[in-house]
Parts: sequence; C-alpha cells; structure tokens
Amino acid sequence: MNDAALKPDTQDIVVDEVFPHAPETIWKTLTTGELIGRWLMAPTGFEPVKGKHFTFQTKPAGAWDGIIHCQVLEVMPNERLVYAWKGGHEENVGYGSRLETVVTWILSRAENGTRLRLVHSGFVTPKNDSAFKTMSEGWKKVVQSIGDIAGEQD
Amino acid sequence: MIEAATITVVMRTLADPTRRAVFERVVRSDEITVVELTRGSGVTQGAISQHLKSLKQAGLVAERAQGRNVYYRAQPEGLGPLVDWMSHYGVFWRERFANLRTLLKEIDP
Repeated sequence: MNDAALKPDTQDIVVDEVFPHAPETIWKTLTTGELIGRWLMAPTGFEPVKGKHFTFQTKPAGAWDGIIHCQVLEVMPNERLVYAWKGGHEENVGYGSRLETVVTWILSRAENGTRLRLVHSGFVTPKNDSAFKTMSEGWKKVVQSIGDIAGEQD
Repeated sequence: MIEAATITVVMRTLADPTRRAVFERVVRSDEITVVELTRGSGVTQGAISQHLKSLKQAGLVAERAQGRNVYYRAQPEGLGPLVDWMSHYGVFWRERFANLRTLLKEIDP
C-alpha cells in the first residue's frame, strides 16, 4: 500500500465500518473543513487538494506544541483520501514523542451503504525498554494514575 | 485489534488495587522475591504469587530463578500499550468513527 506498511518496525491502526450513507455524503464529511471540525477536530487550512498543507491543534506535551502537521498526498473523490500526519518531539516519550504517520481513508460501496476504512500507518513501536527507562519517574506516575484509568474501563 | 486487546489486559491486570500495589513495589526495587513482597503486605504469600502470575502474563514483570529464590523485576515496556501513540490513536479513531456516525445521521437522516 505505501512505504510505511512495508517497514517491519512500524504498525498500522485499522478501523473499518459500514455506514448507511452514500459515499458522496461520507466524502463530504471527510473533505469539508467545517464538517471535519464536527467529528474529528477543526482543521486549519484544509482543502482536498494534493500538496495542500493543514494543521490540527491537539494537546501539547513537553517540548511539543501539540500541532499535528498534515499534507494532502492523494485525492480520489468519493474513493480515497490520504494525508501525512506528523507531530511530536524527540524529547518526549509515549504520547507527544516524534510521530511521522500517514492517514488513509478508503471508501467503497457496500450493501446498504458505504464501507469506510481508515488506515493510520507508520507507528514505530518500542523494540526495547530503553525508551521507557528514560521515562524513569514519568512512567511511575503513569502507574499511580492507572487506578483511575482502569476504573473507567469497567 | 491486537493492541486494543493488550490495553485491556494491562488495564484489567492493574485495576486490582492490591495487584497494583504489588507492581508498584516491584517497580521501586531492582529485584524482589515473593517473600520480601509478602512481608508487611497484609496478604498471604499465595495471594502475592497469584498477583505476580497475572502481572507476568500481562508482560509487566519478569522473573529470574536463582537457587531456591525467584526474583521479580518490572518490565516497564509492558506499560507501553497505555502510553504510546498507537494506543492513543487506537482509542482516538474509534471515538471519531462514533462521532462521524452521529454527524452523518444528522446531516443525512
């Protein structure tokens, strides 16, 4: 599919669902700035035009300002939309660490609607514990707050 | 989804306050035995052993046998599923798909 998918040290997130709407309707929600803001996050500078740069403001972490830098890579109306999704900072570990990924939206006709497939590719997953060791006190705090997080899951 | 399953396992494993306390003690020491963990814990050695077994299955602790003793140490990378980008976005996109479904219902009833 793309370079990231071929690298053995990266992984993809795939979400695949069928929606009872026409591809054209879904395409509109993926490619209209105002509508994107209503289900994803409000983009700045988005246009469904190859090469176009845009950003999303997310939660900052450490030396990272929280800005996701995107660039439209492919546009096939009602079928396929691909953009780069980059952010993070070298000094961070876990959330807020360097992020160089690609988001691909694939629309295909399904019975009673449209299959929408998201592939978020290029995640570099930790191979050894060195990254986590450098978190030292940081991840101990994670453990301490896990009670709350775990409680929410049940 | 593999990583979603892992998050659930780690969450479930650490949801138990006693088990979490055991894990925190393992984290604070370089290596520790069941006997040392039991001391002052207020629970039986058997209970501690069970908690260590769960922690080991979740990839949160590793063990090393030496003579009669088994030493446990933390494997912080086991917490990876809770703190890395991938798990962040695993949750993020599922939530966004739910938002999208709601929005589509609104604009195209």
